[in-house]
Amino acid sequence: MPELGLRITNLRCRVAGNEILKGIDLTVEPGRVHALMGPNGSGKSTLAFSLTGHPQYDVSGSVSLDGEDLLSLNPDKRARAGLFLSFQYPAAIPGVKVANFLHAARQAEKPGDPLPPGKFRALLLEKMDQLGIDPSFMGRYLNDGFSGGEKKRLEMLQLAVLAPKYAIMDETDSGLDIDALKDVGNSIGALRATGEGSNTGFLIITHYPRILQYIVPDVVHVMIDGRIVKTGGHDLAHRIEREGYDKIREEAGAIA
Amino acid sequence: MPSTVTIVAPERNALHQRLDMLDAGVVDRDARVRALDRFFTMPSGREKPGRFWRVDFEKIVPDAEAVASAGAQIDVETNDGAVVLCNLATAVREHPQLLARAFGTTAVAETKFGALTKALLTDGVFAYIPADHACDEPIAIRYHAAAGAAVFPWIVVLAERGARATVVERLTADAGAFVCGAVEIVSAENADVTYAALQHADDDARVIFSRAARPGRDARIAWALADIGAQLAAQDVRISIEEPGADAHLATVFFPRAAQHVDFIGTLEHRAGEATSETIVKSAARDRGQARFLGNIRIAPHAQGSDARLRDDALLLSPNAHIDSVPALEIGANDVKAYHGATVGALDADQIFYMESRGIERDAAERMIALGFFEPAIEHFPTSALRDDLRAALAAKLS
Repeated sequence: MPELGLRITNLRCRVAGNEILKGIDLTVEPGRVHALMGPNGSGKSTLAFSLTGHPQYDVSGSVSLDGEDLLSLNPDKRARAGLFLSFQYPAAIPGVKVANFLHAARQAEKPGDPLPPGKFRALLLEKMDQLGIDPSFMGRYLNDGFSGGEKKRLEMLQLAVLAPKYAIMDETDSGLDIDALKDVGNSIGALRATGEGSNTGFLIITHYPRILQYIVPDVVHVMIDGRIVKTGGHDLAHRIEREGYDKIREEAGAIA
Repeated sequence: MPSTVTIVAPERNALHQRLDMLDAGVVDRDARVRALDRFFTMPSGREKPGRFWRVDFEKIVPDAEAVASAGAQIDVETNDGAVVLCNLATAVREHPQLLARAFGTTAVAETKFGALTKALLTDGVFAYIPADHACDEPIAIRYHAAAGAAVFPWIVVLAERGARATVVERLTADAGAFVCGAVEIVSAENADVTYAALQHADDDARVIFSRAARPGRDARIAWALADIGAQLAAQDVRISIEEPGADAHLATVFFPRAAQHVDFIGTLEHRAGEATSETIVKSAARDRGQARFLGNIRIAPHAQGSDARLRDDALLLSPNAHIDSVPALEIGANDVKAYHGATVGALDADQIFYMESRGIERDAAERMIALGFFEPAIEHFPTSALRDDLRAALAAKLS
């Protein structure tokens, strides 16, 4: 049996010569929800891109997904291994329709279970219905002219259709009003309630604790200046809500 | 006529002699001679840009021996009994008055290569759509040029008041063929004509087209033009708005690869006010493919209330590929809307990464993004069969 989990060991990352991640150790177990919190600029999004293989990041250390080494793989292979990133700023791709894109992604990620267009369409409609997404989304160009909320909703739809083993949600709550935030929380809840989604491990990256009202984390990590300085339970999120990051930053500084 | 002394080049002589062998029914010999003289004396307006461009339009002369009516096959098809659809020779005999209202009345013969087509015109098509008649099915024109032949087709579309029609031209040509054609569209008040052309010639053929449309008052006119094949594909496409209220569209897609060259001139002449025009160009180039787009929008001083838009995007898929994009706006009126936007660039790294992060391999992601890039222009093509053929042709060029 391989060691299950998204296992990050001593992950370091340089961008344009600057060390942004200074040795991250973190393991997301199947079916568990980890929150990664931290102030702006602490390196949270860099971690998300380092894990998914963005070409601009110079990464060392090790990351394994259910025993499979990730860092040697191209981004598409990491995705096919079961890793998903919900982008903070999803790219708009004019001319590529949501349905066609998602079908291509589904076929790529589940080669053992190919779905012909008709069946895929049925699956897509079902998921859209579950998430309260208008069917007209299917024919729209990918993120092209989408509002911030629509983009996040489309990320949730992709999460539901691809049902990854591990999902990184990068600032999914940023720029959302409270209703949209609830929808995101409900979407993640809905995925976790399905058979194939119940084992999905989540790494929820966020600046604000408010999304954690809608998806309750098992573990909370606080990242400051490229390091995880504190790990705890859900109450850690409440503490940040009350106190902000300064106190934790001071404590971390005292330790260092 | 001023008298000039010119040194007659051998090519010119040979072509002059050739005129005797061409049918005088549609264009008589004198008119052919005058047109040939214009071809030889008129500049192309297609000067050589940049250091990449290898084509010199001033030196393009068809081989006289290759000029032949028999070098091409035209098939026309409509299931619409109300429409007149025939070859030009028939139109001259049976519908001379109708033909005369459109043939030679547009800007095509004012261009160098339009003059060449007129001089050497081999055959063509006349399509007539009567008043208030809406064609349910597209009028289909298939044109094939044989290997090594030099052919000069002329297509004329005349749409009466309130008529609606779609014409789909599919052009193929074998290796070494030289096609120099003209298309004219003349429409009356409230007519709605869409003319689409898919050029899919052999990569060793040369295909040059002059196209001009003259929409009537409140008429809609749309060109949707794609160049897929040919070693050299050149188009000069004009819409002359001479009546108020016209709604004009020009969409084009081209994608030179290997050593292909595409040269596209699109001209919107707003000579009457309260008219709208939209030009959309989506071009890509890979390998050593070269293209240039010259987009003219001219709004005359009295053409108040004109609304002209030009969107031109070029995608470079290889380091040696090259696309020149030259929008030119001449605006003489003060109460107008004119917009132009142009981009030239490579595939976007963030788009590629986004697709890769969904498990799609890099090559496939690049193909999807590039195909998507053309889509806003492909949408202007009138039938789903044509759009699918165009997508397939573009996909084949990407693989």
